[in-house]
Amino acid sequence: MEFILKADQLCKKFKADTREITVLNDINFQVKEGEGISIVGPSGSGKTTLLGLCAGLDAPTSGTITLMDIPLNRLSEDDRAYIRNQYVGFVFQNFQLLPTLTAIENAIIPLEIRGEKGGAKKAMELLDRVGLSERISHYPAQLSGGEQQRVAIARAFVSNPKIVFVDEPTGNLDEETADTITQLLFEMNRELGTTLILVTHNYILARNTGRILKMKGGRLEQE
Amino acid sequence: MDYIIKLIRKKANIFRSPWIWKFSWMDARHNLNRLLIFISSIVIGIAALVSINSFNFALQEDIDSQATELLGADMSISSRNKYFDSLFLRTIDSLKAETAGDARFASMVFFPKNEGTRLIQVVAIEGRYPFYGSVLLTDSSDIAEFHNGKSVMIDEVLAIQYDIRVGDSLKLGRGTFPICALVRQFPGNTSIGATFAPSVYVPYNLLDRTGLIQYGSRINYHKYLFLKDRDIDKIESVLRPLARQNRYGIDTVEERKEELGASFQNLYRFLNLLGFIALILGGIGVSSSVHIYLREKRESVAILRCLGASGWQVFYVFFIQINILGLIGTTIGIAVGIFVQYLLPQIVSDFLPVSVEFRISYVAVVEGFLVGFIMSVLFAALPLSDIRLVSPLEIFRSEVEPMKKVSKFRYMIIVLVILFPWLFAINQTGSLLYGSIFIGALLLTFICLFLAGIFILWIARKSISDKLGFVFHQGMANLFRPGNQTIILIVVIGLGTFILCTLSLIQNSLLGQVEFAGSGKRPNTVLFDIQPYQKDELVDFTRARNIPVQQVVPIVTMRLKSLKDKSVEEWQKDTTESISRWALNHEYRVTYRDSLIESESLNEGKLRVPVNDTIYISVSDGLAEDLNLKLGDQLEFNVQGVPLKTYVGSIRKVDWQRIQTNFMVVFPSRVLEQAPQFFVLITRIDTREKSAEFQQSLVKKFPNVSAIDLTLILATLDQIFDKVELVIRFMAIFSVLTGLFVLTGAIANSKYARLRENILLRTIGALQKQLIGMTLVEYFLLGTLAVISGCLLAIASSWALVRFFFEIKFNPEYVQLMFICLVIIILSTGVGWINTRSILSKSPLEVLRKEI
Repeated sequence: MEFILKADQLCKKFKADTREITVLNDINFQVKEGEGISIVGPSGSGKTTLLGLCAGLDAPTSGTITLMDIPLNRLSEDDRAYIRNQYVGFVFQNFQLLPTLTAIENAIIPLEIRGEKGGAKKAMELLDRVGLSERISHYPAQLSGGEQQRVAIARAFVSNPKIVFVDEPTGNLDEETADTITQLLFEMNRELGTTLILVTHNYILARNTGRILKMKGGRLEQE
Repeated sequence: MDYIIKLIRKKANIFRSPWIWKFSWMDARHNLNRLLIFISSIVIGIAALVSINSFNFALQEDIDSQATELLGADMSISSRNKYFDSLFLRTIDSLKAETAGDARFASMVFFPKNEGTRLIQVVAIEGRYPFYGSVLLTDSSDIAEFHNGKSVMIDEVLAIQYDIRVGDSLKLGRGTFPICALVRQFPGNTSIGATFAPSVYVPYNLLDRTGLIQYGSRINYHKYLFLKDRDIDKIESVLRPLARQNRYGIDTVEERKEELGASFQNLYRFLNLLGFIALILGGIGVSSSVHIYLREKRESVAILRCLGASGWQVFYVFFIQINILGLIGTTIGIAVGIFVQYLLPQIVSDFLPVSVEFRISYVAVVEGFLVGFIMSVLFAALPLSDIRLVSPLEIFRSEVEPMKKVSKFRYMIIVLVILFPWLFAINQTGSLLYGSIFIGALLLTFICLFLAGIFILWIARKSISDKLGFVFHQGMANLFRPGNQTIILIVVIGLGTFILCTLSLIQNSLLGQVEFAGSGKRPNTVLFDIQPYQKDELVDFTRARNIPVQQVVPIVTMRLKSLKDKSVEEWQKDTTESISRWALNHEYRVTYRDSLIESESLNEGKLRVPVNDTIYISVSDGLAEDLNLKLGDQLEFNVQGVPLKTYVGSIRKVDWQRIQTNFMVVFPSRVLEQAPQFFVLITRIDTREKSAEFQQSLVKKFPNVSAIDLTLILATLDQIFDKVELVIRFMAIFSVLTGLFVLTGAIANSKYARLRENILLRTIGALQKQLIGMTLVEYFLLGTLAVISGCLLAIASSWALVRFFFEIKFNPEYVQLMFICLVIIILSTGVGWINTRSILSKSPLEVLRKEI
């Protein structure tokens, strides 16, 4: 397996009333295993849509997206969910923690879905690694934004994913917390040897990855 | 070519994934209060079902166990003749069974103590009747005096009405008798029956002293047999042919049970259908509350989908939560239902001939449990089926198209959601036809209300204008804004209004029918059992009191001897002909005249005078149908032993609802004038005082003549309707309560849609009173429009029911209708206001921080 992720002539269109809007057009790129890349571009350039397609959250209108040699666009939604659970981790701008679960319960959930036993120990280790060992029983509403994002990072790495998709991880955080979170995210990525796809409009943040893909108007402009 | 890959992976299984159960609990522990409406809907629906079904079972069992008490004997033989056939009597003697008897007829009673008079039923008892069951008396009563044949007993209802006590006396015909006992309960009689025609119990030996048995007196004689532990079927098979020959009626305990079962069929159906309505509304409540709950859960579902949970896994998470709560709701519902069943016999006791003991029916409990479970699964599955299709992309945007718009599972649920209530309605009514009609009518109502909702939205959109002012404009615009609940609220409130208004309109029309008959210059008093020698004197007596004599109608009794040249006996043996047995055996009361009266019109033929000894009679359309008669058909009557051959000369339509002396058979003049006959006098007495005064003097002067006072019947009917109304209202509470929960659910649903924009309006400076005004305008408009839709639909449906089912005049009481509508409008506006109050009191900052 030379590339962990391959996008080939990806195209995504949406219907708005009677009009058809092309959000992504002819996207082609490959990502090697263990590589870190950033997708940058202004708002509305199609970054998040591309992340969604690459992670199997949505299917392209045309073209192929291959993750771990599996053509995601040929799978049903439930099969794509299975792939996400087995090989993918996520970190979102709004943290996206389950409000009714404590920090440890949130961190452990990908393993629970997988049906893996003994996940609590691993989740505990990761929460300790992100500095939240004292707050494992707290609910998201009782945690600060930075703390919530740490839980989200622990959750992203708990299942030993092959690839982690990160969407504007510091967008909702103050500068100081953002720096800490960035540092933590890339450190853990390096430690675990995970492939990382970062979507951001922040070029400084993007520079932490080896490659930067620039998007504009639904197309990859340059690499 | 495009191809699809299927991954080899373990499919989601509710029993193999402990995570699903664990997550289900972890998620539910903070949200149980959100599902309160869901539980309440199930509790009310199941409570209604269990209480009604349990009561039905108890009633059926009690009718079974107390059936011998209803008849008071093992067998009863009824006849219109005082003297039973000698062969028949010898056969009964050969059975060596204990016998008793009675004679029952209507007459007037006069209480000298206060000069009160009333139409009553005389029950003259001979022997040790009733053999089964006991006569329940008041404390001061002494039944021994009755058994000694010296005193009479009266129903307690009558005693209370005329302030009569034990020791007082009454005048019956020519005789005056002391009262020795007040009867609270006589086997087989109902309280409501006693209200309508209370009984005076007379020892048989005193009957002659009354002088009431004269020609034309409509008396039913009964012979009762006590056949304890004997083969009743065998005895019946011996007596039945003899009884048929003599035109006696035979009633056994089994038959009485069947008759009672049949007469209670409508009560069962009515109660069952009320239970059904509560259940359907409960179903809507379940769907609506689960819909609200899941709307709040969409974000969590999108996160789970993102982390790799399959559609079925998230479905099961909420499926488990909802079903466990459904089971809890069902259990509470069963407990509440058992408590309500304890109250039910007390409320409907007046209508029941048996005392219904409280007991838990395990069949009803199991049925309630199953129905509750199915209801929570099925009605929750409809909104739940959507949750499977939530896209993980909702993490980024809330407005994302579902992954699939159609799913087989969803279609299957929709089919089951229609099928389950249909099967349930068939089961409840015990009839495919009635069940289907009911579910069809309900579906039609839903469709009409749904279309009304669409029409109202269209009208609101078209008629909105800036000129209405900010508050009214915004309130009205809320009706059709995205996330509006207008259609569901119109359906729910409209359905509640529809049910209540239909009940009220039908009741008005039934009552109005009687009032209508008693209004204007129409007759309201009928004097009957007038002997020929009394006729002229009575006419003078009436006129002397300034009371008009509107009609004096002669009546001759006769029986059918042969029909179309075939004897009645031959017709009875012929099982291939579809001729009503009752019409062959009936004792006809006919009159003679040469013209039609107000309540009649000719369908076919004409009234004809006798030609060359050929007598042409006129028959009612109903009788023509029952005897398969057409013009020219021959009927031979036995008029007091004299055969009389007649031919059908005309067929009349008769309005039996009119207070007139209506007849199935009318002879022409100059045929029956010399036959033994009696008369009926019809009059109108305008005031109750005048009527009472007239009846008092009538009883004194003509003790054998009885008077039916329509005003008294009206007052009695009013009392009965009050009691029926109480039962209906009590049972309708279930529907109304469920409706209120559904309403609260639906409004709560719209609350979340309004939340954000209300807060934003406050943030940019809208005053609280403006927001309150907007909310009130929105819910007032919704309530009013829904009530108008439901009310119009109720008027249409009750008109159709009254016109075609009850076949009476539609007589709506619009003031009462407006009152019901007003209450529902106030209620829906109030519930809307209470539900949104919490939003209006929230700080804008709370919402902007996204911590709602």
